[in-house]
Amino acid sequence: MNTHKLSPQNCENLSALADGELAQGEFQLLLQICEQDPRAYDCWDTYHALGELLRSPSSKVQLSDPVFLARLNQQLAKEPSFETRSLIPASDGGVGDTDLPRKVVGEHRESASNDAYFGWKAVAGFACIAVTSAIAWNINGLTLPAFRSLSVRPDTVAEAAAPQQVVVASPQGFMVRDTRLEELLAAHKQLGVTSALPVPSGFLRNATFETQQQFGH
Amino acid sequence: MKIMHFKLLGSFMLPLCSLVTMGHVMAQAPSVAATSVTAESKSINDWMMHMQESSKNRAYIGTYVVSSGGAMSSAKIWHVCEDNQQVERVETLTGAPRSIFRHNDRVVTFMPDKKLVRHEKRESLGVFPELLQSVDGQIADFYKLRPEGVDRVAGMDTDVVVLAPKDTMRFGYRVWTEQKKGLVVKLQTLNTDGKILEQAAFSELQLDAPIKMDKLLHMMGKVDGYRIEQPALVKTTPGAEGWLLKVPVAGFRPVSCYRRPAAAIIQANSESPFQWIFSDGLASVSLFIEPFDRQRHGKESSMSMGATQTMTRQLGFHWVTAMGEVPMTTLKLFVHGLGQKK
Repeated sequence: MNTHKLSPQNCENLSALADGELAQGEFQLLLQICEQDPRAYDCWDTYHALGELLRSPSSKVQLSDPVFLARLNQQLAKEPSFETRSLIPASDGGVGDTDLPRKVVGEHRESASNDAYFGWKAVAGFACIAVTSAIAWNINGLTLPAFRSLSVRPDTVAEAAAPQQVVVASPQGFMVRDTRLEELLAAHKQLGVTSALPVPSGFLRNATFETQQQFGH
Repeated sequence: MKIMHFKLLGSFMLPLCSLVTMGHVMAQAPSVAATSVTAESKSINDWMMHMQESSKNRAYIGTYVVSSGGAMSSAKIWHVCEDNQQVERVETLTGAPRSIFRHNDRVVTFMPDKKLVRHEKRESLGVFPELLQSVDGQIADFYKLRPEGVDRVAGMDTDVVVLAPKDTMRFGYRVWTEQKKGLVVKLQTLNTDGKILEQAAFSELQLDAPIKMDKLLHMMGKVDGYRIEQPALVKTTPGAEGWLLKVPVAGFRPVSCYRRPAAAIIQANSESPFQWIFSDGLASVSLFIEPFDRQRHGKESSMSMGATQTMTRQLGFHWVTAMGEVPMTTLKLFVHGLGQKK
């Protein structure tokens, strides 16, 4: 089996997955990478933190606690594995002794219909990590980021890609801007100011960037 | 827009203190109008040089109010200048609490609500002579100095001048300077019709205030309990980035070019835009260029926020964001003049 390492492209795919817009073909490979390279979890974690930051710039965002995650994983490992039990007694001529339910139960006990699909198991693991991260966020008293579907849902792309918008006051009335533009504006105020006039030292602009965002909200 | 307010607010800082002998310059002004272009150029440059000269050994404490884009904000400032050392402290009075300290080109911003302190170095805060050398007589080519009499601001008698643009590609400035010391106490940015886009003024001002530089520096270095953030910037060149301005915009010269390395994770997701900065000596324009991303980049737009205009355009496979304290038409010229090196 080939070993996969986390590359910048993989990080990009993780971001796409977080936004529910990863192409099906790349999904399986990404999950393998996640299994083999622990940095993938950090990457996943960071994307959620960034997402949270973009969604509500004024809130405190903190990465999930790795110690907590490790402990939770240990506890999970100690948990007894679930046994699949038949909901319907074995055929003894009693009630429910029909071919259909027995067939269903039998299949379930042998293997899940998606067992052959390795990626599915990985999704479960991945979802576990995601939930763990969410718990960690909660523990830190932070706003739980809106987790997007882990499944590949092209219909959510537009929603996921919509930039964070901020309403600001202007002489023309209230306007809507996005956070990306806010960042560039801050960069312009910081560096893009070279004037011999009593104009801009600009060094204050950076500091008031957050103020402005709050104001915008 | 508070961020803009602080642009103006900064205006009070850089002049660093004072425009000495403003009265002297004013006295010369009427004759300037009647004399040659060279004399006019000399007048503006003299005026600028006086700001530099007067910035030495000056100290003041003041409260200033900035109005821009329909919003107002204020802050308190302590400024001390001894020999070639400038130290400032600014406490924001509106919005999120921020303490900003500057020691020459070093800026430290305290964000108590986030327990975060940001260390930065600002090259553009260079000392005046350097700035003036870089723009030499350029300012006089595109602006003219026009005296507008006297006024009273923050309880002080002031002289008023207008730095009026000679074309429609830049904004004008009306500047109030305190008569005795020459400190800039009020500043307006005016559009091409003379309408006020932004303004900032001291509501109270104490000149020659007893400020100890050591004390400010001590406060600046007191970062216990704060997380320290130090954004790194990488200098680059438009050539290295594969870009050029095919058609230069009159009066604007390229000043610098940066790439701001984001966290590795962000870089993997989206390349950080590189920032190409232009200045005509008074006004600045930033061009941000990054690969076009259908998901992140919405439709093209033009926005006006106080004196700062912003324009976004798609240029082939790239996304350009132009912003600056210039008219929108000037930004258009920048964007249209931009091209990739072949």
